[in-house]
Amino acid sequence: MDRNTAVRSADGRRARRTSRGASDRADRWPGYLRLPTYVILIIGAVLMVMPLLWMLSTSLADSKYATTFPPRFFPDTFDVTNYVEIFTNAGLGRYLFNSVVIVIPSMIGQVLASSMAGYALARLRAPGRRIWFVATLCTLMIPFEATIIPLFVMFRYFDWINTFWPLIVPQLLGSGYCVFLMRQFTMAIPAEYDEAGRLDGLGFFGIWRRIIVPLSAPAMATVAIFTFTAQWGNFLGPLIFISDPEKYPLAFGLYAMTQTSNVGQTPEWNLIMAGGMLLTVPMVLVYYFGQRMIYEGQNSLGRIRIS
Amino acid sequence: MVNVLQTRRKAWAGLPNSTRETVAFYVFMAPWITGMVMLFAVPLVATLVLSFTEWDLFRPATWVGLDNFEYLLFDARSDFWRAFGNTVYYAAVLVPLNLGLSLLFAVLLNQRIRFRRAFRTAFYLPSTIPIVAVVMLWSWLLAPSGLANSILSIVGIDGPAWLVDPGWIKNGLIIMGVWQLGGGVVLFLAGLQGIPRTLYDASTLDGAGPWRQFISVTVPMLSPIILFNLVTGVISALQVFSQVYIVTQGENPGATMLVPLVYSNAFQFSRMGTASAISVLFLLTIVILTAAILRWSRRWVHYESEV
Repeated sequence: MDRNTAVRSADGRRARRTSRGASDRADRWPGYLRLPTYVILIIGAVLMVMPLLWMLSTSLADSKYATTFPPRFFPDTFDVTNYVEIFTNAGLGRYLFNSVVIVIPSMIGQVLASSMAGYALARLRAPGRRIWFVATLCTLMIPFEATIIPLFVMFRYFDWINTFWPLIVPQLLGSGYCVFLMRQFTMAIPAEYDEAGRLDGLGFFGIWRRIIVPLSAPAMATVAIFTFTAQWGNFLGPLIFISDPEKYPLAFGLYAMTQTSNVGQTPEWNLIMAGGMLLTVPMVLVYYFGQRMIYEGQNSLGRIRIS
Repeated sequence: MVNVLQTRRKAWAGLPNSTRETVAFYVFMAPWITGMVMLFAVPLVATLVLSFTEWDLFRPATWVGLDNFEYLLFDARSDFWRAFGNTVYYAAVLVPLNLGLSLLFAVLLNQRIRFRRAFRTAFYLPSTIPIVAVVMLWSWLLAPSGLANSILSIVGIDGPAWLVDPGWIKNGLIIMGVWQLGGGVVLFLAGLQGIPRTLYDASTLDGAGPWRQFISVTVPMLSPIILFNLVTGVISALQVFSQVYIVTQGENPGATMLVPLVYSNAFQFSRMGTASAISVLFLLTIVILTAAILRWSRRWVHYESEV
């Protein structure tokens, strides 16, 4: 075990080190490689970020500008009328509300379900544990896309079509990736802590609640962020399960708005880009404030073993 | 009441340790086991059964044996082989490209460089953006008179109609996929941080240069994560749906792919049986490919120790 890992598990606060670039562990190559390193990184970073800036600048342009050719990177005037137009669209507030109603229970449910399952798979000895773990890994191979037909039939039988249930309920039951992440993270917590808790009279639930949950906060935050990401951008789910525009979540609603506005005419790129910004900004904020947690949470995957 | 509780508690305490642990295991696993059964096991079996039937959701299903498979595999009108070929092309180009580039960027980001955190954010940012926004943005960038083509025209290249021309559309979709490689970079970075410093020191003493270190230390030590990214990358590339559907509405022969074909058969033409048969073939493809990769990986994946 290298020094950093030891520091991380011994002292939770020191673990935040990861977020501060300078104190990260870094390799040092000989000097003649520094220039190529920077050149490649700068080209890569520009290609990554430029499309986003382009989206921002188009979203602030008027429609005349957006159709000029060749396109210019900076419009003459910046204004926010596109955003005003999108926000005054009757549907938008509704879509945003729907997204929040779907995302919040999904996050809470996913975090609880996968933390509980992760704890059980990492710590509790029971007949069948190995089989359930292998089954968990197998679910990683089965995309939701491959089972949509029976799921659609099942949810239709429950009379759940055109409700939020088909989008929320699966999240309350855990997911292969999140359970696996939680299990790996829990395995890395020293078992002596459990033992100490047991001596203090904690039962299985107490150990999970008072020891495992607080210590696995980074992994739980990672799970919450992943769930947020998946639900915030969910497209296939609403496409199949929801046909009433009143019930569209934000991403799907914005997609529908751009679809109806560009039939047979030049797409109003400035409006569409403003919609794209609306979807993008919350994600950027979430990842900006959550990146420390994500690096911490995923470090437990740094020593993955599959097969 | 109190009495009942006390007796219950006594009864629980009186059970042997192993029994209590088993009960606790299954209590903690209850949501996730429900999820595995309801969202994976049952739908899988149902998909298989439905693939032998003809069913329009309303009239009772009729058993047609292998007719659906015969139609898909031997009747060109089914479009199955075209979808299969396009999907495999997409995965075969995108996955190695993403793997190579994200490994390259991760190794460079792990150097002692200035603005490390800003660089890391730049590479990660695009992968957090909801797919609907990604497609909005790239439809604009890759539009016939969009930014990409006007940059190309500066150097005298007449850019193609990226997302319209059947011969180019897969490449347009691959560009979107490469832009979102950040998730892989993060996992590789986590892995790089876990490689013991001493291995590099030792190899430097033996006179190894950076390239030699990369081949003999970095790659073997990262191989479990390379395998993980390879397997998850292949599976997620094969299940590509949203971007294809949003860009083409399923109407571009150059981008007929497997999951969109499932969707159009099931939800546009109400051919649940045919759609289920495509799902079965799709799952078989994933299982065979994953098994092949895992088998092949035994030759090059290096595990330091058991988890």
